[in-house]
Formats: sequence, structure tokens, C-alpha cells
Amino acid sequence: MKELRYAARLLRRDWKAGELRLLAVSLILAVTAITAVAWLADRVAGGTEGRAAELLGGDRAVIGSEPLPEELIEQARQRDLTLSRTLEFPSVVLFGEQTQLASVKAVESGYPLRGSLLVGGDPDDSARQTREVPRSGEVWVEPRLLLQLDAAPGDTIDLGASRFTIGKMLFLEPDRGGGFQTLSPRLMMNQADVADTGLVQAASRVRYGLLVAGAEEAVAGWSAAIEPLLGDGLRLQRPGQGQAGVGRAIEAAQRFLGLSALLTVVVGGVGMLLTIRRYAARHLDRVAIMRCLGATERQIGLILSWKLFLLGLLTAAVGTLLGFGLHLAMLALVADLLPELPAAGWRPAASGVIAAQTILLGFALPTVLRLRRVPPLRVLRRELGEQVLRGAGIYPLALTAVFLLMWWQAGDLRLAIWVFAAVLGTLLVLGLAAFALVQGLRALRRGRSGIILRLSGLTRRPLTASIQIMALGLGLMALLLLTVVRGDLLATWQDSVPTDAANHFLINIQPDEATAVEQRLREAGIEAEVYPMVRGRLVQINDETVRPDDYPDPQTRRLMAREFNLSQMATLPEDNTVAAGSFWDEDAADPAFSVEVDIAERLGVSVGDTLTFEAGGSRYSATISNLREVRWDSFNVNFFVASSPGVLDDAPATYITSFHLPADQRRLMIELVRAYPSVTVIDIDAILDTVRGIMDQGTRVVELMALLTLFAGIVVLLAALQVTREERRFEGALLRSVGASREQIRRLALGEFLLLGGTAGLLAGLGAAIAGHLMASRLFELDYAFNPWLPLLGAGAGALVVTVAGLLATRGLYRSSPMQLLKGAEEG
Amino acid sequence: MTDRMVLRADDLGMCFHGPEGEIRLFRNLALNITAGETVAILGASGSGKSTLLGLLAGLDTPSEGRILIGDTDITALDEDQRAILRGRELGFVFQAFHLLSGLTALENVMLPLELAGTSGASETATRALADVGLAERRGHYPRQLSGGEQQRVAIARAFVTGPRLLLADEPTGNLDQTTGGRVSDLLFSRNREAGTTLVLVTHDPLLARRCDRVLQLSDGRLEAA
Repeated sequence: MKELRYAARLLRRDWKAGELRLLAVSLILAVTAITAVAWLADRVAGGTEGRAAELLGGDRAVIGSEPLPEELIEQARQRDLTLSRTLEFPSVVLFGEQTQLASVKAVESGYPLRGSLLVGGDPDDSARQTREVPRSGEVWVEPRLLLQLDAAPGDTIDLGASRFTIGKMLFLEPDRGGGFQTLSPRLMMNQADVADTGLVQAASRVRYGLLVAGAEEAVAGWSAAIEPLLGDGLRLQRPGQGQAGVGRAIEAAQRFLGLSALLTVVVGGVGMLLTIRRYAARHLDRVAIMRCLGATERQIGLILSWKLFLLGLLTAAVGTLLGFGLHLAMLALVADLLPELPAAGWRPAASGVIAAQTILLGFALPTVLRLRRVPPLRVLRRELGEQVLRGAGIYPLALTAVFLLMWWQAGDLRLAIWVFAAVLGTLLVLGLAAFALVQGLRALRRGRSGIILRLSGLTRRPLTASIQIMALGLGLMALLLLTVVRGDLLATWQDSVPTDAANHFLINIQPDEATAVEQRLREAGIEAEVYPMVRGRLVQINDETVRPDDYPDPQTRRLMAREFNLSQMATLPEDNTVAAGSFWDEDAADPAFSVEVDIAERLGVSVGDTLTFEAGGSRYSATISNLREVRWDSFNVNFFVASSPGVLDDAPATYITSFHLPADQRRLMIELVRAYPSVTVIDIDAILDTVRGIMDQGTRVVELMALLTLFAGIVVLLAALQVTREERRFEGALLRSVGASREQIRRLALGEFLLLGGTAGLLAGLGAAIAGHLMASRLFELDYAFNPWLPLLGAGAGALVVTVAGLLATRGLYRSSPMQLLKGAEEG
Repeated sequence: MTDRMVLRADDLGMCFHGPEGEIRLFRNLALNITAGETVAILGASGSGKSTLLGLLAGLDTPSEGRILIGDTDITALDEDQRAILRGRELGFVFQAFHLLSGLTALENVMLPLELAGTSGASETATRALADVGLAERRGHYPRQLSGGEQQRVAIARAFVTGPRLLLADEPTGNLDQTTGGRVSDLLFSRNREAGTTLVLVTHDPLLARRCDRVLQLSDGRLEAA
């Protein structure tokens, strides 16, 4: 253990001498990034895992779009299971002149069977858990609905044909889930009040739910008994199943954050490789003396390894603390998107220690261990020993460490390989571009350009300069992508939506209300086509039965498992074009279907094929007479499958329409909702605002990660400055001794930093623009125009950051007299 | 080898491969040093005297010949075995002091004891510092000590393991005349008290003359001066 004692003592000395600071900062940044993500992931996962039954609201649930067969309930009662039914549907809430789309959930007493609701009386009241449900005549609402309506507990609101008092604020329901449903705020009511509201009609969009709970065996028996009874529209959920969608989204977000944390590790690693070489070089003498005094290679190896291990523990401790703080900041940014989270555990701290040691193992240990081979004769002949640090053998281990960390964070070998290749590729391209630019500058200096280029370290140390530009460029590029390019993409997308695109949908219009609604809209000057909508399942193609499993493509399988929204129309909608066959005449007698081209391709059908749909227990068949192309971004009501008039007349239908409502006519919606309570108004603008809000919150978290990467880039700059510090000091002294003024030398440094930062920023801007363009065309199918400001903005930002950091790092270097400088340089 | 023989070199030769072929520094050198003797090796810069010292100390291996320290042929040992032997049998004093900058005077003196795993290192090292008159400065770091004081710490470190053989390379080379005189006084008196054998490499004839025997290394030959 004497080696450990020595290691601790020498580490203290190195720290005091400032030799380890940059190395430590690189490590701390990396650990901060990794632990912040680990804590975020751990707590969010903890908030959803291990509470599977609570998240379902019971031991089992049956959920779907069809009313629950009585048999299900009978079977549960026979087995002594407790049960609770739920209904969920969207509806518009009215409060004075305010309207707001809410996601209504009607519950019975006993709900939830597992877990509890978190409610509060007024905004200042602390939340408490309850197993009660709203009384008849009362609703509980999510606080943001109160904000949107400008209402408070105690106020009365209109919902359909009924009036309710706002009883409590609903902070949390265990089985809320996530995804699109959470976009509109929750309103919870007693199921006994549903009928009076008139909101649930024969063909309304309702999600029916049945929760059961009880002895494990009884629950299992019930599940086995009822599963065969479930039609296509209902499915049985077991704990841990229902939240798959949310779970997947959270998992994907975690992976993304975890991998972006590794960007900091990679950039920080470059800084470490630069620093550790100099650090090792400064230890040649020390190791030689120890060898001379009798230390064996093993002892030296142990002392050096212990030292790094201790450094890893210390930096992990600091980084973990910072990471904890950072995760709190990130959580604060996305607080309202997340369920209630469990307290922070200790595991992420362990991941910080593992990460720090892995990084040191990959980036520092190989170089440091080479010191073992320093010949003791160096005590007599100083020129010996330098060569032990040379050679490229240290890089494979560094790359291996990065890859292992990526694999760990991605949890998926294929993904890890892809990301590893992408990061390496980006670094390589940035590095090559940097090197080419530096070479270009070198060519320039031969011309008549100023002394700055000739004397600048940028042209005289091209390799170091290229590495600095590459590392800084990567950090800046990540930041530019997340700020400017993201904004550009959003703006491009918004511009691609026509200004008169529909911004309101009316759904759930009952058949007997359709004509009146259309009439009321026309009176207000709004021309809107009202279409019937029939929900039907595709059961046969050309009289042969088809099932979801017939299709290998998972997306098509999901499509087949759901009900299609069918309509019938007399004329081709304006934003549709016929791609094959011909559209029917308005008064055509032959029954026919028109199918959207992409869907036709998925299903493998074409003009002339016969489709049979089942809706409301009856079957409806017709031949495909044409395929349509649809412009979805018009936001108009469109259907994958539409029939000629008459085909679906007997099927249960509700009506739907969409239109552009100018802002000054919003009152019309209030009138409509009052007159036709069961009609649901969907305000697209409001939903888009919510989506944008969620995206903004999410990207701010990622921006914090990118900022860490930029910091790591600055550390690379500082490390490179430190490596060349003695050289700079000596050069400065030399220049001063031949008559250069302090001001001239300062200007020389300033010029170098401006060039360095400007070049890095320019490359980062170009890289971000290219990445943005690729994302726009490949991922979002948008025409993203090249933003000429990006490279300029990047160059400006890069020049500023690097100049400030560089001047701060070299201040005082050129202040003393040339003689002192020369002396200092020799001792260096 | 008799009991009194501490260091012996037979047919020692050393050559380097330079850009212009082989450079032979010396060959067929023979040296016998008995216990308690003080021997100076005098030579001009580049004569190879430091190389010779490195070989005698086992810091390097000769191109030919063998070296015995006591009964051990150190040319037959590997580097780690030689390191252990150095820690046990040899003490060093260098021109550039070579103290470890992060350790206090006491810790520097303790270093060889601790590397060898000797118990009571702190007490032994404290006594060794007192012997060179630096007991009060035990907590100082090298940069807080003058050149002469640093070399005294180095002398304490060299003697602390009770070595059989002390090797000194221009021990006063970095010091002014007065300080150098005091340091060499100390070196010789500690050597006498401890009964150690001293081999000293220097280009300073005055310092060399204080030894029992002076050998001159020139043109690859080692002869009595």
C-alpha cells in the first residue's frame, strides 16, 4: 500500500502545481454529462417502472373503441374481482367566453383500483393522494385547464348539455400514460353524469376501459376466460404492457441524451490526449530518479495507476455533484411533461465513477504507463527517455474506451456502431477540412500577407491547430444545430403550411346535425364540406379474407389491425388528384371505392380490386375505380378510402369537417358548441402550440448537453495552449529581444486566436448547414434553403469564444522582460 | 573476490552506434575498489566518465565485460533486479540534486527506505537529516531550499539506507565555491562516519585530490593520476 500512499502524495503535488487541472476539467465535464443523463434516465424510468400495475390502474385492463361486452363483467363478478369502468373522449369545455378542448375521463367509484389520484383544492393547497372520485355534478381538472380557461375551483363550466362545478385540481392519475392524449388537459367526471351531457352518441369516438383487480389466480383465470371473447376493437392489457408507447419514447430520449453526453467525452478525450502527453513528459525525470533509487517497474506502474485511479475518484465526485445539479436543471425544464418522479438514487453516481475510470483507462493510462520504461540512466544523461512516449499505440485504447461507453449508453450494439462511425466520420471530416484550411493559410503566408500569418502558430503548428479547430468545431456545430438550424427547420415547416390551411376540425357531428352545422358555417361565410365518417375494418380483398398477420411490414400490420376511417363523397375534393383510373360521376350508380395511392401500395391493391369493409356488424363491398393522391399538409379532412354515394348509407356514421377560421371569428365555435354539445372542436393552432412547447422544452435539455460539449472544446483549446506555452513564451522573448513590442506580440496572439476561432466556427456553421439540409430532406421531406448566415454566425461566435478564452489563458505570458522569459523557457 | 572488495570491473567496454558508425568510448577497463576507499575518477567533458559511473551504478549495461558489486555480477541482472540492488547497496549524489519536487525534505529522504519497504522510515530519515544539519528543515519542499541545502538533503538520502557504495556525479558542480566546499566537507565526513566506499566522478582536480585514490579517464583508458 506504500505505492498508494505515494500516489496520493504525488497527486496532491501535481494538483498544486496545476499540472492536472485541464485533465481534471475534461474528466469532470465528461462525468457531469454522463451522470446528469444517468440521473435523468434513472428517475424517469423509476417513475414509470416498478409501478406497472399502478400505471394500468388495476391488475388487468381491457381497453378499446367498442363498448364492453356484459360477459366480461359477469366473469369478473363470478371470480370476486373488484372492477371499475372508465370512458374517455375528447370534448370542449366552456367557461364564459373561453373554450378549451379537454380529454374527458368518466370514472366510477373505486377508480383507480391500483395507485391513487393526486389532487388539491386550490393552487396554494398542497397536493394529497385520494382514492375517491368526483361526486355527481362535480368535475376535477388538470391545473393547466384552469389556466387556459382562466377559471378556478368553485367556478362552473359547461360540458355538453350539462353544467358542472370545478371541485378539485387533478395533479396526477396513475394510468394517464403519455403520447397524443396528454396534449389536451384532463377533465375527470363521474360516469353517472355522462348520459345527461349528451356527449356520447352511437358512433362517437370513445375509449372504453375496464379495470379489474383481485387475487392473482382469479385475475389470471379471468384473463384466460375473457381473452377469446374480445373483438378486434378491444384488447387486454397486463401490467407493463399498456405504457409501451410512452416507455419507448422515454427510452429513445434517454439513448439520444446518453449518446449526446458522449460527444462531450469524445471532445474531452481529445483534450486529454493533448494534456496527458505533456504531463507524462514532465514526469520523465521523476520516474528516472525513482528508478535510480531502487523502484522497480512494477512499483512505478502501481504508483502511476493508483494516481490515475485516485484522480478518477476525485473528478468523478466533483463531476457527479455537478451532474446531479445539471439533472435537476434539466428536470425543471421538462417538469410538466413528466409523471411524479421517485427520489434520486445512488446508481448514477456509480456510473460517474465507472465512466471516469474507463475514460482514464482509455485516454491516460496507456501514455502514463509508458513512463515505466524510462531508463534510470536519464539521471545522468537527460536526452534519454523522451522516446518512450512516442508512437501511436495509445489511440486504439482510446477509441475502444469511447466505443465501450457508447455501447453502454446506447444499450444496443448496432446503434453504438452507427453512432461511433458517425462521430468518427464527423470528426474526420472536420479534421480534414481544418487541415486543408490551415494548409491554405500556410500557402498564403508565402505571399505578401502580414507578419501575423507568417508568425502565427496556426501555420507553424498545423497539426495542433487542426486538432483545436476540429474539437471546437464539433462543439459549436452541435450548438448551432440545436439553435439556429432547429429554428430554421421549424420556420420552413410553418412556411410550407398555407396560411389559409384549415385550423379547426369539427368531429362527432351527429347525422341529424350535419346539415344544420354546414348551414351555420355557410352563414358565417365559411365554405366547408361536411363528410360522413364510418369506422370500418378491412376484412376481404377480392373476396378473400385478409388478416393483419398476412402483411410482413409492421406498419401495414398495425394499419390492418385498426379501423379505417371511411367516407363517401360525390365529387373529388379540391386538393386530391386522380393517379390511376377515373373518379366517378356525381350521379354514378355503380358502387366504387377510391383509395389513396400510398395505402393502395401498402395493401397491394389497385384499380379493379374489390374491397370489403365491416362496420357496425354489416359488410360493405365495392370495386376500386381510382387511386388518389392527397395533399395532407392542406390540413383538410381527407380519407384513405372513400366510396361513391350510397355505398355506406346504412353504416353508422358521424360527420366531420375542417375549415380555416379567422381569429376574429372564434366566437362562432362557442356558439356551435352551445348549440350542438356533442360536437367536438379541435383547434389545430392550440395543439401545434402545445407540440411546439414540448419540443422547445426538450431541445433546451439537449442544448445544455451541447453547451457541455462546447466547454470540452474550449478545454481542448486551453490544453493545446498549455502544450505550446513554453514554445510561445520562448518565441515571445525571442521576438522581444529582436525589437518587437509587447503590444505587437499581443496582437500576434490576438490574430492567431481570431483566425483559429473563426475557422472552427466557419466549419461548424457549414457542417450545421449541411446536417440541417440532410435532416430536412431525408427526415422531414422539407426544402430547406441553405442559410448563408450560419457559417458567418459560426465564424463570429467561434472567433469571440476562442479569443476571449485564449487571451485569458495566455495573459501574463508576455508581460515579463525578455531575459526572464528566456530563463523561464529553459527551465520550462 | 576478497571480502574487502566492494566494486570490481573486468574488461569493461562501451560503444555507441552513432550516425557515423560505431563510437567506442572505452574498452578493457579494469577497476578494483575496496571497502572504505574513496576514489575519484577525473576526466574532461565528454571523456565518458559519467557513462562509466552509470555502468558502475547499474544504470546501464556495458557493451562488454562485467561489473561486480560485492559478490553480485550486476551485468547478469535484469533492470528490475538491478533496481532492487541499487536500493539496497548503493547511494547516489548528483550534480543536479534530483530531489522530487512534490515531496518535503523528509519525504525525499524517506523515499528509498519506503521503496525498499523498510520499517521506521520516518525516524531513520529524520536522523539522516539531522546528520546533515537539516533537522529543522524537514518539512520544506525543494524549492524552499537553497542549492547547498538541496544537495545536503540529497546526501542524507544517499546515506539513509546505509549503502555499501556511494556514487557521486559532480556533487559540487552546480554550487558556488564556498557552498561547494562545505558540501564536499559534509560528503567526506559522512562517508568517513558511515564507513562507506565512495566513488566520485568530477572534472575538478581539487575535489578529486580529497580522495584516497585518483584515476584519470582519457582516450578510453583509466589510469592512476
